Amino acid sequence: MKKILIVEDEKILAEIYRDKFTEAGFEVSATFEAKEGLKLAKKEKPDLIVLDILLPRENGVYFLTELRNDLEISSIPVVVFSNFDDPETKRTALRLGVKDYLIKTNYTPKEIVAKIKNYLK
Amino acid sequence: MEQILLINQIFLFLNVAAGCFLAFWVLLANPREKLNRIFFIVTILMVLMVVFASLGFSSNEPQQASIWYRLNGGVVVLFFIAAYFFSIYFPKKIAENRLLTKLVVILCSLLFLISVFSNLIISGIAEKEWGMEIIFGKGKLFYYIPIIILTLLIIYNLFKKYFVLTKEERLKVQYVLMGIFVFALANLIFNVGFTFLIGSVQFQHFGDYSVIFFLGFTAYAIVKRELFGIKVVLTALLVGLIAILLLLDIFVFTSQGWLQGLKGVIFVIFLYFGYLLIKSVLLEIQRRQEIEKIDKAKSEFISIASHQLRTPLTAVKGYISMILEGTYGQLAEKQVRPLENVYQSNERLIKLVNDLLNLSRLDAGKIEFSPELISLEEMVSDLIEELRINAEKKGLYMKMVKSLKPLPKIMVDQDKLRQVILNIIDNAIKYTNKGGITIELKKIDGEEEIKVSDTGEGMTKKEIESLFQMFSRATAGTQLHTEGAGLGLYVARQFIEMHGGKIWAESPGKSKGSTFYIQLSIHLDPELLKTKTKTITKTANDIF
Repeated sequence: MKKILIVEDEKILAEIYRDKFTEAGFEVSATFEAKEGLKLAKKEKPDLIVLDILLPRENGVYFLTELRNDLEISSIPVVVFSNFDDPETKRTALRLGVKDYLIKTNYTPKEIVAKIKNYLK
Repeated sequence: MEQILLINQIFLFLNVAAGCFLAFWVLLANPREKLNRIFFIVTILMVLMVVFASLGFSSNEPQQASIWYRLNGGVVVLFFIAAYFFSIYFPKKIAENRLLTKLVVILCSLLFLISVFSNLIISGIAEKEWGMEIIFGKGKLFYYIPIIILTLLIIYNLFKKYFVLTKEERLKVQYVLMGIFVFALANLIFNVGFTFLIGSVQFQHFGDYSVIFFLGFTAYAIVKRELFGIKVVLTALLVGLIAILLLLDIFVFTSQGWLQGLKGVIFVIFLYFGYLLIKSVLLEIQRRQEIEKIDKAKSEFISIASHQLRTPLTAVKGYISMILEGTYGQLAEKQVRPLENVYQSNERLIKLVNDLLNLSRLDAGKIEFSPELISLEEMVSDLIEELRINAEKKGLYMKMVKSLKPLPKIMVDQDKLRQVILNIIDNAIKYTNKGGITIELKKIDGEEEIKVSDTGEGMTKKEIESLFQMFSRATAGTQLHTEGAGLGLYVARQFIEMHGGKIWAESPGKSKGSTFYIQLSIHLDPELLKTKTKTITKTANDIF
């Protein structure tokens, strides 16, 4: 069973994605914060991380920078899934090696699960 | 000789005073910050290094000189340990390799003991006319090799993080590198150049004194939040360098009084124009920074506003799609249609937000263009699958006519082109009630063409003329659908023209269907390619 970590601060959206990924057969862990996300990534060693950018306190770019600097978890693939469509942030995220930068409104939960499955092939 | 010693002492005094000032300036700016404390240690060690070297050089007794030079050698090692930690923490901390750090500390401590207490590095002192000179021992290489490795490690640490830093943080690193460059250049001139030119090492300490440039630049980069652009610093450095050369020329190389006076006047005029030059560069940069700040604030506002608008729409989209998929139980037949309507209305809102976001960016004159090599056939075929369900619901056919030979891959901004084609097919479904939509792909010379034909309402010539303008819709659009804002095709045209391509529509007339064409060059104009991932500045006036 593939493990997935969702870092998402919107409670409703986190719930939707957690339900959908669980239904699709993933083992899901979720958190609202970047620092907590890093701790969970170290503990759970997920196969992929779905990351929001605008988070309370430290943002998604902080998460990515810290993740890439930590040898233990730096190779975990990350897909950014955010409604924050800022070109500069997108460039930074891609420079930090994210697999993709997806805009949430453009995908239904079913479509995002299909995308993630594709990345994990 | 005495003159050199005097100049040496003046420079030494200035160095120590400036070094101590910088060390305390940075420390007191934020005593709790680890980086500031490390810089304090680096600077104090640097000051000690210069002082010990100078004391060794000017000692009266070889034995005394030996003690100072050994202390100098030891402090150099400590300095490099501190500089290594500095490279980890500047401008922000990176994850350190703890094993490597331990190794650096242990090896350098050993090196410190060897250089201070043994004869391996400094075996003796030679008395020269200009001062005391070190006679190196057999372990000279064991001293220099670790120091070279440490220097490379420090530079590696700075470069490693450079690419993940923000623009402001990168500027800070550039400042430090600039300081290192000036320090290295001065050492090259005084310690190497002069040694070869004059055949004497009597000027070598002037190279050491230039360390104050490195400390000054670094201290400024740590303490100041907003730094001057490198352009200003370079201009000031150039003006300063020319001023020093002019001054040297007046006092050292010119003996006639009247010529000194004339050169003095030229020097003053130079200083005045140099000042004006620095001021104008500064002013230009400040103006540009102000414009950039306003642009950034505007762009951030647009991004945040669209984010806030999109978040509830995402939740609605997510829940409705899951209800329709049956995640929360089987739906009664009469519930399906209203829910589908809610879903479609939500989709229209999402599209409106996307169009407004693009429009704001186009209006601000800035939009990103990131071309990549993709297969147009794959993209169009994915889009057709995505939209097929909408067409089938209206009882419309949707077919794709591919070229006989597979089309070559093409350089396009995938996100933007996807949005354009999606918009056109979506419109075709919207304005067609009978028949269907045909999407044809073909290669015409050096271009690939996407042709979307429908059997829908069609358009008059007049409608076609204003179709790609802002807030414009064909009358069929106003009659059949009231939800569109008339932004989609305007944005589509901007995106296609950004690729150097063409987009247009044709229709034989009312009730006779419409055909939309997009033509894109297979080989993107090299000028456009150069703009990859850069900001394209393009205003609506440039386009129309």
